[in-house]
Amino acid sequence: MGITRRIFMLTGATVGGGLLLGVGGVGAHLLTHNRVGVQRDANQSDNAEHINMWLRITPDNKIVVVNPHTDMGQGSATGLMQIVADELDADWSQMQVESAPAEQAYSNGKVFEGFMREMVTPPQWASTLLENGFYRMGDLMKMQMTGGSSAVRFTGMDAMRKASAATRQMLISAAAAQLDVSKDSLSTNMGSVVHTESGQSLTYGELAASAATMESPKKVALKSPDQYQYVGKPVERIDVPGKVFANQDYGIDAEVPNMQYAAIAASGVFGAQVKSIDNLDEIKAARGVSDVMIVPDGVAVVADNPWRAEQAARTVKFTNESHANDTLSTESLVEGQRKALAGELTNGMSTGAPADIEATVKAEYFVPYLAHASLEPMSATVWQQDGKLHVIAGVQNPLGAKVRAAKEAGLERDDVIFHSRQMGGGFGRRVAFSMSGDEPLNWLVQAVRVAVDTGKPVKTTWSRETDTRNDVYRPMVLARFEGALADDGKPSVWRSRSYGKEMNIKAVAPPYDIPNISVDYADHPHPVPTGFWRSVEHSQHGFFVESFIDELAAEAGVDPLQYRLSLLDDNSPAAKVLQKAAEMSGWRNGADDQGRVMGVAMVHSFGSTIAQVVEASMTPAGPKAHRVWCAVDCGIAVNPQAVEAQVQGSVNFALSAALHGKCDLKDGGVVQSNFHDYRIVGMADAPRIEVELLALGSPVGGVGEIGVPPLAPALCNALAVLDGGRRRALPLV
Amino acid sequence: MIKLNVNGIEHSLDIEPEMPLLWALREETALRGTKFGCGLGLCGACTVHIDGAPVRSCSYPVSAAVGKEINTIESIGTEETPHAIQQAWIKHQVPQCGYCQSGMQMAAVALLNENPQPTDDDIDNAMTNLCRCGTYDRVRAAIKSAAKELA
Repeated sequence: MGITRRIFMLTGATVGGGLLLGVGGVGAHLLTHNRVGVQRDANQSDNAEHINMWLRITPDNKIVVVNPHTDMGQGSATGLMQIVADELDADWSQMQVESAPAEQAYSNGKVFEGFMREMVTPPQWASTLLENGFYRMGDLMKMQMTGGSSAVRFTGMDAMRKASAATRQMLISAAAAQLDVSKDSLSTNMGSVVHTESGQSLTYGELAASAATMESPKKVALKSPDQYQYVGKPVERIDVPGKVFANQDYGIDAEVPNMQYAAIAASGVFGAQVKSIDNLDEIKAARGVSDVMIVPDGVAVVADNPWRAEQAARTVKFTNESHANDTLSTESLVEGQRKALAGELTNGMSTGAPADIEATVKAEYFVPYLAHASLEPMSATVWQQDGKLHVIAGVQNPLGAKVRAAKEAGLERDDVIFHSRQMGGGFGRRVAFSMSGDEPLNWLVQAVRVAVDTGKPVKTTWSRETDTRNDVYRPMVLARFEGALADDGKPSVWRSRSYGKEMNIKAVAPPYDIPNISVDYADHPHPVPTGFWRSVEHSQHGFFVESFIDELAAEAGVDPLQYRLSLLDDNSPAAKVLQKAAEMSGWRNGADDQGRVMGVAMVHSFGSTIAQVVEASMTPAGPKAHRVWCAVDCGIAVNPQAVEAQVQGSVNFALSAALHGKCDLKDGGVVQSNFHDYRIVGMADAPRIEVELLALGSPVGGVGEIGVPPLAPALCNALAVLDGGRRRALPLV
Repeated sequence: MIKLNVNGIEHSLDIEPEMPLLWALREETALRGTKFGCGLGLCGACTVHIDGAPVRSCSYPVSAAVGKEINTIESIGTEETPHAIQQAWIKHQVPQCGYCQSGMQMAAVALLNENPQPTDDDIDNAMTNLCRCGTYDRVRAAIKSAAKELA
């Protein structure tokens, strides 16, 4: 059964017919950058059905959300459907979703715009001009990204919501023309335009073709939250059944005719290339092996079965070129960071007169490099057919991956057909871009190389060991903190210095009312490849900042929860989530009779605010987190049960890092290799996690990453209550 | 030739006796619901049943499976006729990326077959599969819910 279905899925774009509506900025925005025409072409669908970039309406009255985001388990497709259904007055049963093609016409400027607006606030007059600019930037950057917790808050609540409201207006205009009545006499309900006076109604499907010819309104009214029928309700995710019944294809499940399999023997030293293969004949003699070749960062072995390929790859003997990284070790890297922190620094943020005040509390913090360890190892299937290069893979940026594959193969972008698949976890690993310039698609590059050089259809899959040792890692960071207390016990000064330049300096600064703050960083690169890792810079700096504020509270002799509240506006989301987490947990600053202690942390990230209380104890096997209470302000939670799932999952993701996560460097490569030495928490170690979502009227924020940053500091703060010991370096075990 | 009985169907395969069962299932019988995660039996994404017991097929040579009944996720239930575990998995919206979930469900089905009313400790001891998305709270709730349904 598998073969027929899987091969069938390769035969072309999945898109049937349907109405595509204009660029995302339909509505109260300029429309000079309208791409409907190219999008219709890219989508190969009936022009009549394409109303805009984000949705089609088919003649049989289906509303198809064209989703530019890919799924790695975050479930945002369902949230986007909820948003569109509400703004369109649709019936849930007519809602469908499909993946946007990996085409330039579907680059997603909305996401880029969202990130930029988060970091810089443009004046209002510039906003509409900027929107078009962002689309152009999105184009230039080949951005069709899923990451930064962006799908629902940017693509959904901004672009798709406006586009859907505009579509509803166009459907009304079409109905008014068809029924020869005024637009004011019409209303929409459950997928139809209704003329109450005459009792006539027309379905959206019946109106789609003429609606697509209507001019998009320049201004649209958006629904208010009290009018929502779908947004804010717990909806079953549309991606769940396929995963439960195991008929969801992941990148690694690809199958094409005559497919061969490649495994990789990595060079083992970051940046070092293999110079020669020393036992070629021996490897080629192994059963099923057809090709052995040098590829970027290693050697590829091609065989007729993935296990045979991997077995043979493990016997490859090769010689590397010598490389500056040959002697790289954790010790040398820590030493390098320590020296950098003592050298010239860049000021990221400064308030008051921090230099004039003598510090009385000083601490050095450290977090190691971390691998992503998505459960599906990196895998891509590549073949040439009819003059095109085809790629099957699960990525967080299909358009970026397509462009990268084309570059590696020496082809034009449009000579690559990218077939996007479900990802078995992403967490930032499968993006197409890094701030460091390191190549996160190193695995895809190898897969393309193998297929092009052999001329065969080849699935290249990394072993777990290759995956762990060839990642783009969460950066290791050493940081120093200094503070002093005023007479009232509140911080009078906060100084920090840390290694590495972060994208968002807000993540590095304390979110508290402190009069004298200085945040400095050593603007130096990492010799180890680095990339985005779930929650990005918040993963390190959330730990540092929320640990050090706890140290200051302890120095002041004040309950750490009350201490934080004393440094916040009572009505701020930060204060509200802290109060809620305290209430949920029955907060106590001390051990109970079973030796269980509590710690708290609060972090703003991705437009949301979260507080966590961790209840922990010390066991013979090390620290144990028993329960975690999470209070979240993410504005309107579009699909509350999916938000809860993301926060629960993030807690376990962060707990693995806090307890066990580290990638040590030795002789230029990573020491850890598989789940025995790069441990992930299992059922027995996972805490019970409760999540409450607050309705504070805040703008919609991201939720896929926010649960990660507070966990480690809350856990370490709890353990400090137990024994007075400050855990300033991770992992704990 | 290696003879394997997979989901009630006999297969005669020209493969090495030491080939792990996982790769025989995925590549020789085209049953790709069973996943590769680590290759060392650590994560459980490759869990199948052999004579009803959960086994990590990535580290289980095909030679050891000869003459036994092998069952994969594809034999547990379908959308039309779901297993109680699968119904509970949907009710509790367990999967995130879903990659570990065939193995996770195979472990859960084996647990309930052996122990229809597992305690939290029983669940901790039996469910040693790893989920990188961290769905454990919901896995636990779904197992309890399925146990209630089957009682």
